[in-house]
Amino acid sequence: MKVIELKNVEKIYNDSEVKVHAVRGVDLIFEEGEFAAIVGPSGSGKTTLLNMLGGLDKPTSGDIVISDIHISELTGSRLIDFRLHNIGFVFQSYNLIPVLTAKENVEFIMQMQGVPAKKRLERTKELLNEVGLGDRLDSRPAQLSGGQQQRVAVARALASKPKFILADEPTANLDSKSTENLLDIMEKLNKEEHITFIFSTHDARVMKKARRVITIEDGKVIRDEKK
Amino acid sequence: MKTMIWSIGWKNVWRNKTRSMVVIIAVLLGIFVGTMTSGFMKGWINQRVHDIIYIEESHVQIHNPDYLFNEELQFTIKEFEKVVHIIDTAKGVVAWSPRVKMYVMAQSDWAASGFALKGIDVEKEKKVSEIHKNIIEGSFLEGEYKIPSIVIGSKAAENLKLLNYQVTSGKLDSIDHELFTDEVINKLQNIGEKRYRKEKDFRSILSQSLSIQEYNKYGDKLTEYFSFYRMGIKIKLTIQNKNGEIEQPVFKVRGIYKTSNTMFDGLTAYVDRKILNQYTGLNSKEVHEIAILSTDNETGTELGERLSSYFPESNVMSWRKLSPEVAMYTDFINLIGFIYIGIILLALAFGIINTMLMSVLERVKELGMLMAIGMNKKRVFSMIMLESVFLTLSGAVAGLIVSAIVVKITNRTGINLSFWAEGLEAIGYSAIVYPVVTVLDYIGVILLVILTGIISSIWPARKALKLNPAEALRTE
Repeated sequence: MKVIELKNVEKIYNDSEVKVHAVRGVDLIFEEGEFAAIVGPSGSGKTTLLNMLGGLDKPTSGDIVISDIHISELTGSRLIDFRLHNIGFVFQSYNLIPVLTAKENVEFIMQMQGVPAKKRLERTKELLNEVGLGDRLDSRPAQLSGGQQQRVAVARALASKPKFILADEPTANLDSKSTENLLDIMEKLNKEEHITFIFSTHDARVMKKARRVITIEDGKVIRDEKK
Repeated sequence: MKTMIWSIGWKNVWRNKTRSMVVIIAVLLGIFVGTMTSGFMKGWINQRVHDIIYIEESHVQIHNPDYLFNEELQFTIKEFEKVVHIIDTAKGVVAWSPRVKMYVMAQSDWAASGFALKGIDVEKEKKVSEIHKNIIEGSFLEGEYKIPSIVIGSKAAENLKLLNYQVTSGKLDSIDHELFTDEVINKLQNIGEKRYRKEKDFRSILSQSLSIQEYNKYGDKLTEYFSFYRMGIKIKLTIQNKNGEIEQPVFKVRGIYKTSNTMFDGLTAYVDRKILNQYTGLNSKEVHEIAILSTDNETGTELGERLSSYFPESNVMSWRKLSPEVAMYTDFINLIGFIYIGIILLALAFGIINTMLMSVLERVKELGMLMAIGMNKKRVFSMIMLESVFLTLSGAVAGLIVSAIVVKITNRTGINLSFWAEGLEAIGYSAIVYPVVTVLDYIGVILLVILTGIISSIWPARKALKLNPAEALRTE
């Protein structure tokens, strides 16, 4: 089943004196259950593309359709609400609210969605167990390692039951063991629960695990390999 | 949802403890100074209002309008018995006292002074006014004597040179050896028992007997300690009787009172109305003033309005009209207190805005993340606003606790301003102030503080709302 469709998406940054043509006519389709990596050198436009997929940025022209909704037409609070209910985010860093515990960080997003307290707590425990942090419910982010923090972020991203998870260089700040661990967890979630993951990455280890690698250069898709 | 935002707001206050503590302490001090100052002013005004009503004016006064216009003996209240009957049956009346009032010249052997003489019914007056509780020497018109009694104020006694100074052996024997050194006490014995009528003369003999240091240190205390009122001194009053003839009755000073209003003390004297009538020729139903005490100030005001409709031929005034300046103070004192605290909070608001701005600007990335994952603008705004309110409120609650403790203590002990006593009492204000802060004041301050917290958060919160999540996430 089609989750995301990009039709001739262009992005031109016009704000400085120099026009930057960041994304040029990208057409892509992501199916449910994909484990895809978007790769390319820095400045290639992959972050811009990912931001547009996540509804954080709007294409200059073209269309992005997520589960039959044209998200480039959404504005203001409707767009924020769309993100809350449909997209899970894992960022490179600063994923978590530092004053809240791991449990509260995961619960928070469900609270915003209006999930009742009892259900929230159950799901939080289940998710943190799944990412191997069942014993760290009450730890603050500062008390967790970088890898553990990213695993909490994955649990948080899953908590809202999104259509797909966007991960912007999730392993960039991690050592190889933590990277391995995080990737294993995401792969397991993808295989067992059919969670769709889309990464942007430089990391060869991520590319190795990915079942689809989309290479971008100068804002264009130059290669789209499925394994 | 709400609880989590509240919890984040509260926890965010403590992310940078030092910075928050600076604001909290500033708010604490501001609120403490603000509430204490307004409590102090309120205590002062309350005392003045109390004295006005329970010593000087009472709640309602009735006069013949002609008397107010031209204070002459014959202008007594019309239809006295009817008026008294209505007062007796009116609701809200606690007690009433009839007074004959005239301006007289008083003469002692050493000086003369003019004052307002009130002829009163002692027992009735005691129910209306607290003047008998302010007697510092002698008694309030008790007992019967061949030469009748008069009660005068301490300032009048001073004016009539009845306040004397004398180093008596009795007083020397009972002097407190902890307050004065033995050397000073020995020197005092050499002064002798001569009596001085002028403070100036007594001070000059003191300064001659003591060294300069001793005089500077003990002069005031010694002058006060060896001062005394001469009781039982005859004074001659010059008054005009009903027929316009001059009478000069003699009274003996058998009571001296002191209030916190020196002017009143200098100008008001009391005698028994029956005795005064013997000289004025007025009968027992002829009085110039009826003072009425009511249950409380509000009822008193209302009672005044009610009674004035009953007595078209008389002038009825409530305390609000008798002392309009005090009535105005009582109306505005709350407002003035809040304006004062408002100004303090306005100044503090700039500090709070600064702290909140710093707090927002150093969390740009985190705020970007929150907006990206789906935190809407209302929630972002609430989170920052709550943080600002909690920050302000922490300081305010601490400040209010400190002021509540200080008010509780000073309300019992009073704040002593005796250094300026002379000046304050000259305008009717006590030198010992008992600050008053009511529960309503505390609630008012809390509401003002919350408002300040909200207003101070608007600018920082707007800054946060303007962030573009994608850009915010990319900032370093």
